[in-house]
Amino acid sequence: MIGLKDDETRLLPLMLAPAVSYIALLIGFPFVLSIAYSMTNISVGTTELKFVGLDNFISVVGSQTFWVALKNTCIITLVSQVFVVGLGNVLAGLLMADFTGKWWVRLLILLPWVAPISLGSIGWLWIFDSIYSVINWTARAIGLLGPFDWPIWLGQPDLAMASIIIVNVWRLLPLATVIILAGLSSIPQDIHDAAHVDGAGFWRHHFEITMPLVLPITLIAVLFGIVFTFTDMIVVFVLTRGGPYDTTQVLASWAFFTGIQGGDLAEGAAISLFLFPVLVAVAILFLGVARRTEVT
Amino acid sequence: MENDAVSRDGFSRRKILTTTAAAGVTAAVAPLVRIRPARAATKTLKLLQWSHFVPGYDKWFNNTYIKEWGAKNDTEVVVDNINLSLIPSRAAAEVSAQKGHDLVMFLSPPSVYEDQVIDMKDVYVECEKKHGKAIDLAIKSTYNPKTKKYFAFSDSYVPDPINYRTDLWGEVGMMPNSWDEIRAGGAKIKAKTGIPIGVGLSAELDTAMAMRALMYAYGAGEQDAEGNLVLNSKNTLEAIKFAKALYEETMTPEVFAWDPSSNNRQMLAGRSSLVLNAISITRTGENSKLPIHEKIGLAKAAQGPVRRIGLEHVMDCYVIWKFADNVEGAQKFLIDYIDTFRSGFMASEFYNFPCFPGTVPDIATVIAKDEKAVPTDKYAVLSDVLSWATNVGYPGYANAAIDEAFNTWVINTMFAKAATGAETPEAALDQADKAMQRIWAKWKEKGMI
Amino acid sequence: MAIVEARNISKKFAEVTAVEQINLTAEEGEFLVLLGPSGCGKTTLMRMIAGLEQPSAGRIVIGGRDVTDLPPRTRNIAMVFQSYALYPHMTVAGNIAFPLRARGTSKVETAERVTWAARMFDIERLLDRKPRQLSGGERQRVALARAVVRKPEVFLLDEPLSNLDAKLRHSARDELKQFQRNLGTTTLYVTHDQVEAMGLGDRIAVLNQGLVHQIGTPQQVYDRPADIFVATFIGSPPMNLVELDDVVLGFRPESFLPEEVHPAQDGRSRLPFRITRSEYLGADRLVYGVLEPPYPPTHVISKLPTNIRVEVNSGERHDFAVRLADLNRFDRASGRRLAEDGEAASATSDLT
Repeated sequence: MIGLKDDETRLLPLMLAPAVSYIALLIGFPFVLSIAYSMTNISVGTTELKFVGLDNFISVVGSQTFWVALKNTCIITLVSQVFVVGLGNVLAGLLMADFTGKWWVRLLILLPWVAPISLGSIGWLWIFDSIYSVINWTARAIGLLGPFDWPIWLGQPDLAMASIIIVNVWRLLPLATVIILAGLSSIPQDIHDAAHVDGAGFWRHHFEITMPLVLPITLIAVLFGIVFTFTDMIVVFVLTRGGPYDTTQVLASWAFFTGIQGGDLAEGAAISLFLFPVLVAVAILFLGVARRTEVT
Repeated sequence: MENDAVSRDGFSRRKILTTTAAAGVTAAVAPLVRIRPARAATKTLKLLQWSHFVPGYDKWFNNTYIKEWGAKNDTEVVVDNINLSLIPSRAAAEVSAQKGHDLVMFLSPPSVYEDQVIDMKDVYVECEKKHGKAIDLAIKSTYNPKTKKYFAFSDSYVPDPINYRTDLWGEVGMMPNSWDEIRAGGAKIKAKTGIPIGVGLSAELDTAMAMRALMYAYGAGEQDAEGNLVLNSKNTLEAIKFAKALYEETMTPEVFAWDPSSNNRQMLAGRSSLVLNAISITRTGENSKLPIHEKIGLAKAAQGPVRRIGLEHVMDCYVIWKFADNVEGAQKFLIDYIDTFRSGFMASEFYNFPCFPGTVPDIATVIAKDEKAVPTDKYAVLSDVLSWATNVGYPGYANAAIDEAFNTWVINTMFAKAATGAETPEAALDQADKAMQRIWAKWKEKGMI
Repeated sequence: MAIVEARNISKKFAEVTAVEQINLTAEEGEFLVLLGPSGCGKTTLMRMIAGLEQPSAGRIVIGGRDVTDLPPRTRNIAMVFQSYALYPHMTVAGNIAFPLRARGTSKVETAERVTWAARMFDIERLLDRKPRQLSGGERQRVALARAVVRKPEVFLLDEPLSNLDAKLRHSARDELKQFQRNLGTTTLYVTHDQVEAMGLGDRIAVLNQGLVHQIGTPQQVYDRPADIFVATFIGSPPMNLVELDDVVLGFRPESFLPEEVHPAQDGRSRLPFRITRSEYLGADRLVYGVLEPPYPPTHVISKLPTNIRVEVNSGERHDFAVRLADLNRFDRASGRRLAEDGEAASATSDLT
């Protein structure tokens, strides 16, 4: 007979093994490898390495594009999160209401999340196309655009940034909505009733009761969103490839263009490592939030 | 009797049902199954190349050519066709895994992989023995004079002529013969009809070629014949200033969002008076029966202040990895491919031009009379393409530094920054020069240039 | 303070009728308990009075004003929920102040009133805490303070004691009654616990399946149940019922005593009783058994105070009796109570 305790001590490492090996193989190993690469002179065509210390980092910091990419990464991440949270709250609020066809509407709203990012981005590429832009044709048809106005969404730096932010919002909104929806449904009806009886009007009810109560879970949505946006290169890669003239480059895409397209793996690795501090900060915040929600 | 008829009828109907069902299942499953020769071949050859812009080429190559070659050489040939923009990352992955395809085709000279590939000298020697000398463009794109190594083998290249709207240019009474005429005529047409020209200023292949064509025509270049960095010159500055004026007078911001198919879309939508592109635009127009193709004419590369020069649009560069499983088969495949290159040339509808002119000796006659083209001699202008087409890195070789600068779009960005006014031409040039110096220093240190 | 009236109130959810044609009036300053098993419609009725549900038919009138179509916040009512529904992200002070802020009360007055309400429930030291740092009893006090602070015309309390442990419940009940007396605010109180209802209510409305079965003082409801449902729902153990032709006789276990302990002068009816089992509960004994002829063999229970020392042993037959005044008679078909006069007369003729 095997005692329960024996069983558990044997089971625990067994159950943890998949998670640990997943992290080690798919996250830990590439991470260590990129640290190693960033301090060598490796390129795609060579396998022999030379240690160069911090040369790559110095070179990265010295390039203007890097700073543009860093700035863009932050702007895109922050601005899209603001919209995601705002719209996510509105959508989730609407979805809480009872109406016929609710199931279908929920499914529709979730679709962008289920669709592969690259596929969605390619769809958007057409929406923003310089000739076939659905937005422009529609705007012209309803008279918003004059005969000589024709915004080139991906060709003008500001509009290109806006386009990238729009696609990121579109992509992350479903997740945020679902998370906030979960938060909203977890508020007991009694609390809402109490607020009604206590005399709260619509805005007070929303801002003083509902919002603060979904805040912790919204924070989770935001942290997810930050991680997804901050590390994403597909949207930029598909829509603008960093253009016009590197004005929409982000850290991930710049690392890719430098490391893979350009062949300078070492510098690409160095660029990608600049993502690390931010992600660590986010991870710490994550744990903090998780702990706090545990207490409540 | 009646009973019989009924039962026969019932039987046959059932049979039809089962047969169609089976056919349906087969059709559904077929794409998932790699079709093998009836008798299992003893060897395998794996190719990685792009999805060709001319679908007919892939059809011929994948369904006819490799089948015949495979049967003859007792080899199962597997071709993976992927989007052109995915080739660099796929190649990088294969190198780092030291495993992958036997033959990989790049669309620009893959000099950075020199250490990872076998020397193609033997293949060139063998082909030259049969078909005569390879063109200079091919050698310049695949040979490293520093290490004396052929790091790739080029079977063909794609000319990059000017595509222009004969009707619009006719209306303003001009021809896009030189860069100055393009600027003046393009401006006139834009002022008159609102239709711009479309020369990319973005981080992509077509822009990279067009801007180099402009630079070389202005007597500028990234390097000299010996491979020394000479970007920072008065000529480059002049080219940048010209590009800025060209953008301001003849184009719209859409050229900053250019991708490799924007040329095609803009021209076929009737939204462009001129682009620099391969003949895929008119071919698409002809094959899709878009009447506009009749209004699109082709012209040689534009004359600049110093010379008339253009780039290849695409340079086919096959490499064989050192770690390939079937090096011999890959070499033989290339040699045999050159033997039948004429079929490839025809299958690509004149898109792929031979690097061994001996394989299509009658090329001038063939292209002078095309059954789809309107007028039928539309493509005749390409007959002297070699007198005005050159390689990336002109007047030197397409070396590793050129390759990295090409693929990180340094030149594209330089022109775009200046054209929008985000930087002065001088500052844009200065920034590009700094980036290039870094790249040159790095590859010099590695002993590759 | 105000009179609360429910006039012909009905509520249907889809096909289910939760409340049917209820007429109910809580007098000024009255403590009215809505008592019934779960699902009887008592909470729905209260939510309609609060304005959290719209009645399908009928009117709600508070203080002479028809508020049926008005939102909760204009009804000047306060409600305490079973879960207390404290706002978890606010401090105790914030919770208590919330209804005042929602009404735009000035800061100074708000502070004064919060202190006043907190003092009333002895929770001043808790003002800076968050609800999650409070015990169940403390939360309940905070909920009450939040209800009281706005000085409403009506209190609506939805099982406010059911989340407290048994020990705390007694003292909380007492306090609740005290403060309601002091404030004199009309109060509606929903519960399924008859002990609470009896202890707290000035009057009790007994509800079942959306209908009011009886409204009356605790004593009326206990001693003179309007029908068989009320008779069996109230009292523990419930009223004994004996079917005699088309009449059902009902008597409380504590009225069903050995004949010898009844005072001689009381009119009573004898019921022969075979004892099967008895339970000793400290203050009382519960004696289980079956009636003997001439009565149908019905299972009944007697509740004997422990100080009645008559020996009743299992298996024995013993004459028990009920005071005539303690006998209830119900119509067997309708379950309704039969008229008092007839009751006394027929009981006498039937028995002895």
